Amino acid sequence: MAFVCGVAIFMSLFIGATWISLREVLAGLTGSASEPVNTIIQSIRLPRAILAAFVGAGLGASGAALQGFTRNPLAAPGLLGFSACAALGAVLTLYFNFPHFITPAAIGFSLVGALAMTAFSRRKPGASGLVLAGIGIGALATAITGMVMNFAPNPWALSELVYWLMGSLKNADNADVLVAGPLTLFGGALLCLSGPALRVLGLGEETARSLGVSVGRTQLLIVLGCALCIGAGVAVAGAIGFVGLFVPHILRFLTRADEAWLIPLSTLGGAGFLVLIDSLIRATSGPGTPLYLGIVTSLIGVPFFLWLAWRQS
Amino acid sequence: MMELTNITVRYGDKTVVKDVSAKAETGQFIALVGPNGSGKSSLLKAIAGLLPHDGTTSLPANRRERARHLAYLAQNSTAPATRLVEDIIALGRTPFVGPFTKLSDKDMRAIKTAAKACDIEPFFGREFGALSGGEQMRVHLSRALATQAPILLADEPLSGLDPFYQISILNILRETAANGTIVIAALHDLELARRFTDQIWVLHEGQLVANSPSSASLTTDLLKDVFRITPDGNIAS
Repeated sequence: MAFVCGVAIFMSLFIGATWISLREVLAGLTGSASEPVNTIIQSIRLPRAILAAFVGAGLGASGAALQGFTRNPLAAPGLLGFSACAALGAVLTLYFNFPHFITPAAIGFSLVGALAMTAFSRRKPGASGLVLAGIGIGALATAITGMVMNFAPNPWALSELVYWLMGSLKNADNADVLVAGPLTLFGGALLCLSGPALRVLGLGEETARSLGVSVGRTQLLIVLGCALCIGAGVAVAGAIGFVGLFVPHILRFLTRADEAWLIPLSTLGGAGFLVLIDSLIRATSGPGTPLYLGIVTSLIGVPFFLWLAWRQS
Repeated sequence: MMELTNITVRYGDKTVVKDVSAKAETGQFIALVGPNGSGKSSLLKAIAGLLPHDGTTSLPANRRERARHLAYLAQNSTAPATRLVEDIIALGRTPFVGPFTKLSDKDMRAIKTAAKACDIEPFFGREFGALSGGEQMRVHLSRALATQAPILLADEPLSGLDPFYQISILNILRETAANGTIVIAALHDLELARRFTDQIWVLHEGQLVANSPSSASLTTDLLKDVFRITPDGNIAS
């Protein structure tokens, strides 16, 4: 899976408005190509591909961990409010015209949402409490986001918010990589750490606790890990749905629902998938309005997901 | 030996287990019986450290240490349908292995011994979801035995099983006790409890109202007062 992910990133360097040959790509990576090619490879395509990999990795890892913890195949960062909270933070900075604060706002709101979920689910610890709290907080964040858009000062501001929410990597640069990369790596590490406990939680919360597993500690690892991964992803790419839902679904068969393997595998799978989809968008987008990443992930993901569900039944 | 002292469990204002004190000797197979809602599951969960309670047990307070001393078989146990049988049993070794460490030879021996005790070695390599309800319960029991804890608590391990699997599970539990484990199982079938266990604890409205050898435990008065039935199995008037 790591190999496939690496190949996807490498292939994405060839693809775009201008197709670049293998020799030029290799030269561009070392800085020995012509100036435009160096710039295209090092400042545009490579950061975009790496950023797509980080965002996809965060979505895949979060989805696998949340599905494992809630033992609910429908659980995903989008359903449980992480994406909605991060999006609210980002939309508020756009609304108040502080675009430089998008990243801290998205991560901050995602963390605040995560802490609120933990606080609300304290009276009802475990999967069902987190699902209820997550859906509620997500709905609240979506409603406030809608209210902000409702009061957008003019149609251009509204369209900026709407386009941003569709998700895109078109403005990706090296600075985004430096922000999203470490946060996603740290969040992903927290999620991977929860894997062995989630493997036992598959036997039910009571049994897992009787075997020495701390459900509260596992929940904290997952909530913080998701907040970092999703907050960082939304900050640099907007709201990208569905990857966190269906990537773990597809890979579950390879790991026999063993989260200790499923989370790292979904991390790589999510990364590879988003790089491929973003490459597809770059290859097919003309000079007009480009396709938005969040739309394409759903357009491709939903039919595949439905086919998979149909085949299982 | 395991000792319970004044165990009391409350759900809000409602007290579901009241001042239960009892001792269980090594190698004893104890049936915990009582009508629905008498507090059997709550008492087992309190002993397992899964419910906050007043009173004390002789078990370690530390979660991981307690998990090594006590195996718990939950009512309506579950497992992912695609997980392999041997992988589920291996989870019984969780209290002894680190999160990212491989199973040792000792762990592997414990898993094999537990699988053999429950006669489920032929199911190795099969997915959990492909087994029948009775076979699945034997996998869960095997997982609990793989811990090799000196105490085994089983919450209604016979529920939903046909007579063959009920007797099969009771035989395994009796054999486990004979090998030196304290086994406490919440049961509903009084006749099976009398036949298979050494001691019967009777819970009524959260209180331990009888604690005596199985052959002498279920008196006519007790059956009438607690279970509202007669010795010949009719509704008591």
